[in-house]
Amino acid sequence: MSMEDYDYLFKIVLIGNAGVGKTCLVRRFTQGLFPPGQGATIGVDFMIKTVEIKGQKVKLQIWDTAGQERFRSITQSYYRSANALILTYDITCEDSFRCLPEWLKEIEQYANSQVVTILVGNKIDLAEKRAVHRHRAQDFAESQSMVYLETSAKESDNVEKLFLDLACELIREAKQNKLDNSDAAPMLGEGKSISYLSCCSIN
Amino acid sequence: MPLPVPEVPASRRLALDCRTILDHRVGKGVCGCCGALRPRYKRLVDNIFPEDPEDGLVKANMEKLTFYALSAPEKLDRIGAYLSERLSRDVARHRYGYVCIAMEALDQLLMACHCQSINLFVESFLKMVRKLLESDKPNLQILGTNSFVKFANIEEDTPSYHRSYDFFVSRFSEMCHSSYEDPDIRTKIRMAGIKGLQGVVRKTVNDELQANIWDPQHMDKIVPSLLFNLQSGEGVESRSPSEKEKESPVELTERCFRELLGRAAYGNIKNAVSPVLMHLDNHSLWEGKTFAVRCFKIIMYSIQSQHSHLVIQQLLGHLDANSKSSATVRAGIVEVLLEAAAIAASGSVGPTVLEVFNTLLRQLRLSVDFELTGSYDPGSSIGTKIIKTHGERQLQEAVIRTIGSFANTLPTYQRSEVMLFIMGKIPVPGVHPALSSSCSGPEGTRMIQIMLLKSLVQVTAGFQTTNMLTALPSSFLEPLLSFSLTEDPEVRLLVIHILLSLIDRHDNRPKFSTISIISDISVLKLKVDKCSRQDNLFMKKHGQQLYRHIYLGCKEQSSGRQHYENLYNLLALLSMELANEEVVVDLIRLALALQDLALSTEESMPVFNRCAIHALAGAYLNLICQLTTVPAFCQHIQEVIEVRQKEAPFLLPEDIFIEGPKLPPSLDKVEGEMLFLQSKITEVLGGSGYNIDRLATPYVPQYTDEDRLSKRKSIGDNISLPPEDESRNSPEKEERTPAEEITFETLKNAIVDSVGMEEQERERRRQVVEKFQKAPFEEIAAHCGARATLLQSKLNQIFEITIRPPPSPSGTISSGYGQTQSRSVPVYEMKFPDLCVY
Ligand SMILES: Nc1nc2c(ncn2[C@@H]2O[C@H](COP(=O)(O)OP(=O)(O)OP(=O)(O)O)[C@@H](O)[C@H]2O)c(=O)[nH]1
Ligand SMILES: [Mg+2]
Repeated sequence: MSMEDYDYLFKIVLIGNAGVGKTCLVRRFTQGLFPPGQGATIGVDFMIKTVEIKGQKVKLQIWDTAGQERFRSITQSYYRSANALILTYDITCEDSFRCLPEWLKEIEQYANSQVVTILVGNKIDLAEKRAVHRHRAQDFAESQSMVYLETSAKESDNVEKLFLDLACELIREAKQNKLDNSDAAPMLGEGKSISYLSCCSIN
Repeated sequence: MPLPVPEVPASRRLALDCRTILDHRVGKGVCGCCGALRPRYKRLVDNIFPEDPEDGLVKANMEKLTFYALSAPEKLDRIGAYLSERLSRDVARHRYGYVCIAMEALDQLLMACHCQSINLFVESFLKMVRKLLESDKPNLQILGTNSFVKFANIEEDTPSYHRSYDFFVSRFSEMCHSSYEDPDIRTKIRMAGIKGLQGVVRKTVNDELQANIWDPQHMDKIVPSLLFNLQSGEGVESRSPSEKEKESPVELTERCFRELLGRAAYGNIKNAVSPVLMHLDNHSLWEGKTFAVRCFKIIMYSIQSQHSHLVIQQLLGHLDANSKSSATVRAGIVEVLLEAAAIAASGSVGPTVLEVFNTLLRQLRLSVDFELTGSYDPGSSIGTKIIKTHGERQLQEAVIRTIGSFANTLPTYQRSEVMLFIMGKIPVPGVHPALSSSCSGPEGTRMIQIMLLKSLVQVTAGFQTTNMLTALPSSFLEPLLSFSLTEDPEVRLLVIHILLSLIDRHDNRPKFSTISIISDISVLKLKVDKCSRQDNLFMKKHGQQLYRHIYLGCKEQSSGRQHYENLYNLLALLSMELANEEVVVDLIRLALALQDLALSTEESMPVFNRCAIHALAGAYLNLICQLTTVPAFCQHIQEVIEVRQKEAPFLLPEDIFIEGPKLPPSLDKVEGEMLFLQSKITEVLGGSGYNIDRLATPYVPQYTDEDRLSKRKSIGDNISLPPEDESRNSPEKEERTPAEEITFETLKNAIVDSVGMEEQERERRRQVVEKFQKAPFEEIAAHCGARATLLQSKLNQIFEITIRPPPSPSGTISSGYGQTQSRSVPVYEMKFPDLCVY
């Protein structure tokens, strides 16, 4: 007997340098607003949004981490159980782009190996200040076999698309996974990166 | 998820269908016809909700529901499911009044029924808590947390296999970091987060079936969240009196942290402490020290004491990992180690005693290298940080203090071991460049010498042993004394400090910290025990070395007030602790020899040193005469002192050991009654049964024990005693022959002499070989192992002897080891490795 109000539940974790706009992206998506004077995130932030995809209710549990180095120990501990990671940089900030390899190393070290990672270049509304050319980022993403998307939390460009595409991909993988695992005994807890019903707490 | 998967969607659809049917009625009160169709438990549940949520839970009906649940426990699961279903819906529709009522009902049922098997009910319950925690409304988050905490305090009899607290740990940790704008609400959310974490820990810690809360994935969230709150409360002291009664977030956090640590078993300590280290790293909290120290105090006081050495080990590992971090970071870690060691007391070092000291000594050495080379990485020139000498110095001091703190926790036998270990690490200049400081040259070697001696000062402080012989083996004492021969006044002073700590076993040392003529020593309330057999043996073995050390220490021109004061202290303590009649005689001879030294015109000694030696000898004779209690002896000493007081106060400690002492232009007029007379002393003491022959023989510093050719105890002794030093110690022999013509006879004699020497030497080597052939292997192995490092210092001794020219009247002491090669005796250089091979 289950009374869950969703068909799928996915954990999405946003990572990337401080100030690239992770929190703004999340708030744009979950609350539909661009927060004026958004302060730096402390530790981790948490938000829930349920979306409907092809008639299925998908609950997205979004963990927005602080980019500041000093919170690294706690933020790292959230990668581990993530189904998807949104690696964000700021297209107007070369530095935030150059740090990407470091972030990938972190992911390698701490995240589940099956995690879906998507690269996001944020703040495209500041086109005149662009410091990282689109192709450069695109190439980099391809070389790391990541999907690349450019967004503006401010203008709401591609924000919906980002999360919905991710949700679709996660559903696809979940189905795939279920097929693969159909013979195997059901796994518990963390063993399964994406799972139907066994996601995060009580089932 | 153990439920059969295919069934779930079907039953779920059914549930949804029912809900859509019933939905119309629920909010508006139950209409008669349908009510009758509804199961009893649903009606009972519906009845606890009032018309107006402001009215709160309908108490009477809640009692009915509880009674029903207790009498029909098999229905409990469905009650839970239905309640949570309602609650879910109310959350979605923002009817928070009803949400609170549903939660209250769930809590009450949980409390009332917890002795029953509540497994499935708990599932519904937790689902509701989770639902509340997912909300972005602080009130709901707090409501959910409170319910969770109540649940956490219930002991379940049948643990659940498929319950995961992952979400709760994540969410509570996140709440601990809340940045909600309103500070009051923010504090409430954070405190809820802490309480929630505490709840998870309580719930899972003893339950083998639960996901292991000690796994890094949980600890890495829980611990930094607690530390963040512990830290962010610092400095916020201005609380109103009414608030003071309530527990502050910091207090709550600390309590929770302590509870967590207190529950950690042996295997969990590492996972609990690692995130602390990481947090302190990331937040740059080693530099400030106070918070880091506070954290580790909490840790050390909270964990089970038998685990404390694990924490120490982790800290040491962290120190090593930070070898190239700035000095302030390293100093912070060392400071924490110091505090932690003090708290852990006897158990702090754990089974790997020497490893602990090895790490600390390595850090000391690294720091010296950094300071002198100015770089953390001498190999590369790019990207090196600027090293602050000041910072390194502070670090070194901290390391040394920490070494002392650890040593204090050790039993005597281990302390001796550590002393030997440190001694073995002291580099010897010019001898073994490969073993001394890697890249800092002679200055580095000297600095490390000083650091390690300072460490020994710390380790030996408060050291008390009943058996000097075993606590201070030759392998320790001899290298130590060899350092006392250096020209470096700081090194010599450190050696005396170490000797003082080792010899003082009755806390008499402070009573002689200044040097003065004490007319009645009973005011000092000295504590003296009779010498034990071991004490006597010890002095038999090492007395001569100690006397020589004192004699040469006085003679050094670079000796200052502090040296003389401490040498006096050493003489006094020897008399107190280790003096039998024979030793007393020797000490008196030594004092008289010192007087002769001060009078000698051969030595181009400055007036200050001469006066100081006179004063020292006077003060000491004044002490020893009272200890012998021979009235005539006391009288003689007293008379001389009185003369000095009148005519030559500069020969007394009170006038010389002060700031800016008044020195006479020369000491030509020091004679007659100002001096202590050997003949007189021999006479009066002879009358009291002391050994006259010995008293009448002037003391000449002997480098070795008188029995050095026969009873040999160690290879070290063999090696360290080249016969050449005899000629050095008896200069009059050389003086007697200078005018002699070189004849065939003398040449022949010379050859015969050297042949004799060779024979002697061969005999000695034979003895060594014999010893190795006869002694049990373990003894030899132990011998070689323990003394491997000693070889260096033995070599040093040889160099000291061979390179230091005998004091010449001109007083020019050629320093520097440049001369070494020409003066050293190749034979011994060659022989050394030979012996090592054994
Ligand atoms: N112009 C523009 N500014 C943006 C956009 N997204 C974020 N910002 C601004 O960038 C700054 C940082 O945004 P945040 O969302 O707080 O950045 P963050 O990545 O969450 O930073 P941390 O929490 O410190 O890791 C804020 O001043 C935002 O207003 C965007 O799409 N366009
Ligand atoms: Mg942020």
